[in-house]
Amino acid sequence: MRPVRALQGIDLSVPRGSVFGLLGPNGAGKTTLVKILLGIAFPSGGRASVLGRPPGDVRAKARIGYLPENHRYPAHLTGAQVLHHFGRLSGIREPARSQRVAGLLQRVRMQDWGSTRSNKYSKGMMQRLGMAQAVLNEPELLILDEPTDGVDPIGRHELRDLVLEQRERGATIFLNSHLLSEVERLCDRVAIMKAGRLVRQSTIDDLTRRTETHEIELRGIERTALDRLLTAVDGLRSLEDGKGDGRRFELSGDDAALNRAIDALRAAGATIIAIKPRKDSLEDVFVKVVGENEP
Amino acid sequence: MKVAAILIDTCRELIYRKTLIVYVGLVSLTHLLFVLALQTDVADGVIAGLTVFGLEGQGSGNSFSLGTGGPGAALDISAADFVRYVQLVVAFIFYSLGILLSVFATASLVPHMLQKGAIDLLLSKPMSRSGLFLSRYLGALAVASANLLYLVVGLAIILAWKTGIWNGGLVLSGLAMCLYFASLLGFLVLVGTVTRSTTVSIMIAALLFFVGFIIRFPHQNTDWPLLITGRVWRALAVGLVEGLYHILPRTYDMGRVASLLILQEGQVSWGPILNTALVGAGALAVATLYFRRTDF
Repeated sequence: MRPVRALQGIDLSVPRGSVFGLLGPNGAGKTTLVKILLGIAFPSGGRASVLGRPPGDVRAKARIGYLPENHRYPAHLTGAQVLHHFGRLSGIREPARSQRVAGLLQRVRMQDWGSTRSNKYSKGMMQRLGMAQAVLNEPELLILDEPTDGVDPIGRHELRDLVLEQRERGATIFLNSHLLSEVERLCDRVAIMKAGRLVRQSTIDDLTRRTETHEIELRGIERTALDRLLTAVDGLRSLEDGKGDGRRFELSGDDAALNRAIDALRAAGATIIAIKPRKDSLEDVFVKVVGENEP
Repeated sequence: MKVAAILIDTCRELIYRKTLIVYVGLVSLTHLLFVLALQTDVADGVIAGLTVFGLEGQGSGNSFSLGTGGPGAALDISAADFVRYVQLVVAFIFYSLGILLSVFATASLVPHMLQKGAIDLLLSKPMSRSGLFLSRYLGALAVASANLLYLVVGLAIILAWKTGIWNGGLVLSGLAMCLYFASLLGFLVLVGTVTRSTTVSIMIAALLFFVGFIIRFPHQNTDWPLLITGRVWRALAVGLVEGLYHILPRTYDMGRVASLLILQEGQVSWGPILNTALVGAGALAVATLYFRRTDF
């Protein structure tokens, strides 16, 4: 079997107190990177530090909360016992442990399931319990690997709120997710990985910055006048076939071009319903970046 | 607290599996049988009368029978010998069963811990890998040893109550069996760590148990290599037998040690005890090192 370089040339730093998203297609090396940071896997070379300490350092791990992908809890433990077990392993003493366990079960709406064995839980309940487990030690760094995988929209919303609460508390959050819309909503910065390499790292605002394109919606203009406008105004093109009531256009150009187009449209008797600056979504950026780097 | 967490969890997992609960049930039933069914009458250190399930026993020379003699027939057996032989029979049935069931119950502990999703969580907690692994081993050993000691201490107390004879050798033999299981468990966790398979772990542990038993015979019999005519093959065969005898837990020898302790006969040899302890510790050390260096 040919050896595979799971990661190479990764240079990444996560500012304290930020929500950092790590993106990449399957097999990009995201989970491997997280495992190396936690000392679950070992790098063949290079240097890394977490909270100023080497990966896998016991003192650093006491300040980290982790929710792995496809986590598995001992089938013989109830939800409350799972939290007590991992609380003990995190060094949380009584009575603080019992208070936190009760509070977190309530916070993730699992208080009625605390005495039920975890092998009876649905995927969504497992994720909620996992999230409670990850924040049990009130971590400075919270690492979440696909936290909303298999969770319904309401559950996703609740987990997102919990992540934001942790950020409010001052925790740094490292989020590894396939759900780009979720990353876009939660994260301040993102990094995109592909085939073990880091191919882009930036703030969400920089990645999804405004393009020089606007979407314009009109009403009350004749078909012939419309055709004339499309040839007369530079950068204007229709976005639909004209069967609907409205007319949607895309205008490429700077602010001056936009103003010229508005004047022309009004002169032709059109009613402007909306003008929206177009922004690349994170998904657009992701597809572009990953596509650009195709071998 | 972290070691306690792993110990508690391991005990819970073993209780959940119910294998050892069955063993405790069988042992308790045996204890109860002795409490309820056995009545003895000891006079001048000799069993003057014995009743089992209402049947009266009697002895003649080296033979012993139940229900054939008249009431009050004297038995030609000392109370101390009676206690030791009963303990020997019961102990060996339950030692074999206990070790077998303990292997079944504990074989999955390491493969389960190493499952994807479970090991990631454990290794993310502030505990060293060695601490985690050894705590798991200790938890399994504690539960299995508690079961074996429950058998021997219970049996020793019940027979002491029924006959007035206390045989501390039985309790010592139980400790020897705990040591044997500790050694076997070292190999069990090593196989579990490398293969991550419960089935393979059980198969290898059973193989070690039996090879550790039968390897004693060619080791003791120095004439068997003469059956092999080729000098090289003979040397290889002798090397293999001696190698296995010294690197495996010594099932036969430890059984012999337990017998001597129960019967309080002869001198107990420390060689098999030390060898069994050392090879078990070696297997555990290799397993711990392997676990420490493995990527998950």
